[in-house]
Amino acid sequence: MARKAYRDRLATLRTDIVLFGELVVERYESAVAAAANGDLREADRIVRGDDEINRRYLELEGDCIDLIARNQPVAGDLRLITASFKILTDLERIGDLATNLAERTEYRSGVHPAVDIESLGLAAGEMVDAAVDAYEDDDPAACRSVAVDDDSLDSDCEATTERIIRELLAEQTAGDSKGLARTVDTTTRGLLTVRDIERVGDHAVNIAARTLYMLDTDNELLY
Amino acid sequence: MSQNESTIDSESESLITTDVQPDTSAEPVSSATTIVETEQLDVYYGDDQALDDVSIAIPENQVTALIGPSGCGKSTFLRCLNRMNDLIDIARIDGTVTLRGTDIYDDAVDPVALRRKIGMVFQKPNPFPKSIYDNVAYGLKVQGKKVTDERVEEALRGAALWDEVKDQLDQSGLELSGGQQQRLCIARAIAPDPEIILMDEPTSALDPVAASKIEDLIDELVEDYTVIIVTHNMQQAARISDQTAVFLTGGELVEFDDTTTIFENPADDRVEDYITGKFG
Repeated sequence: MARKAYRDRLATLRTDIVLFGELVVERYESAVAAAANGDLREADRIVRGDDEINRRYLELEGDCIDLIARNQPVAGDLRLITASFKILTDLERIGDLATNLAERTEYRSGVHPAVDIESLGLAAGEMVDAAVDAYEDDDPAACRSVAVDDDSLDSDCEATTERIIRELLAEQTAGDSKGLARTVDTTTRGLLTVRDIERVGDHAVNIAARTLYMLDTDNELLY
Repeated sequence: MSQNESTIDSESESLITTDVQPDTSAEPVSSATTIVETEQLDVYYGDDQALDDVSIAIPENQVTALIGPSGCGKSTFLRCLNRMNDLIDIARIDGTVTLRGTDIYDDAVDPVALRRKIGMVFQKPNPFPKSIYDNVAYGLKVQGKKVTDERVEEALRGAALWDEVKDQLDQSGLELSGGQQQRLCIARAIAPDPEIILMDEPTSALDPVAASKIEDLIDELVEDYTVIIVTHNMQQAARISDQTAVFLTGGELVEFDDTTTIFENPADDRVEDYITGKFG
């Protein structure tokens, strides 16, 4: 095979991206579990581990830049590297969102009871996992499937948001000012949590969209 | 193989016949051991200065690329490293060139012994009008090495050519394709087991596929040899080298650093202009 060293580096980049994706999914799912169970020790591990994710992100970003600068990739090779470059950003952002979830675990009053963190959170995590698998396995159908799953997640998140707002309005109508202050606090964290989980789903779709374009030059999911 | 074995008088690896004190000053860009180093090297052809105060420390077992516009002195620099400029009457050299700390221009150094350690491959493939086997055997003979079938095979394997020619070793080297001829020349260069291989635009006369094979070969050669390559192809330098030295008009070495730095974040604006095509 011609340009063996270059081919090896492309294969290594792809493997490294998949490993990074698996690391991020592990951290995110642990953050969901920590938030659901109020596990402060695990939450602390997630927060402290964000530095490792950021460092690895920058290393892999550097690998992409180096491949472009030194090898002048074209066609499928260029799509692989540019897709990987974009996917890296999505994975790093999922790492940040996992940190957000973990940080909210510290509040003993917990997230709003209307938010089923485990159910919503793990659904988003499975989407990320599926998107990374699609990237690893060259699977366009799996990419499209992630987008379908996101519609369902968005719907669940929207319904949860609506429940939270309704309960807040009900509390306000009841006129309990002390209870209202507490409710505003948990409501805010509840809304932020739902938004973060929804954003994780969006990043999963971004990964799937970049993968689909990388594989088939199909920009269907990019818009 | 049916070829005869022959022996040559000297197997000595020594460059010199008298003691020369090594000079070990260096500012390497790599943590690897410096194998060849120049200090304040000036080269003149008559009244024309081709190199101007070039100091560089080249690491071993890595690929160092020399790039720059035509006439900037990069080929002159390459030829200084195995004293090929000795063959040019009007060439004059100031400064020092050391191989593992030994001044190669010391009177005690034997240029033939030096070239045994520093082989060279040129721009245009130049096999001799002899058989494939004899082309490699010549590389051994001229450097005073014993010719054996094993050594010829080893050199051809080292040049990634063996599998393509093993059944036609009696065929003329001139009947091979351009890319194969260049790899035959590389086999001839590595047959005496040198430490350094100098390459002066080794792929510029080849088509992209043949050039790609040579680039892959260079990647393998650095496991055993130090490769110093002159190339006009900046993309090639970016692809295959560990370090890049940029020469500009007037024979000045403007920047020498690891290749990633040169192509992603060069320190000198003139290098930035050159590699982005703004120069001139």
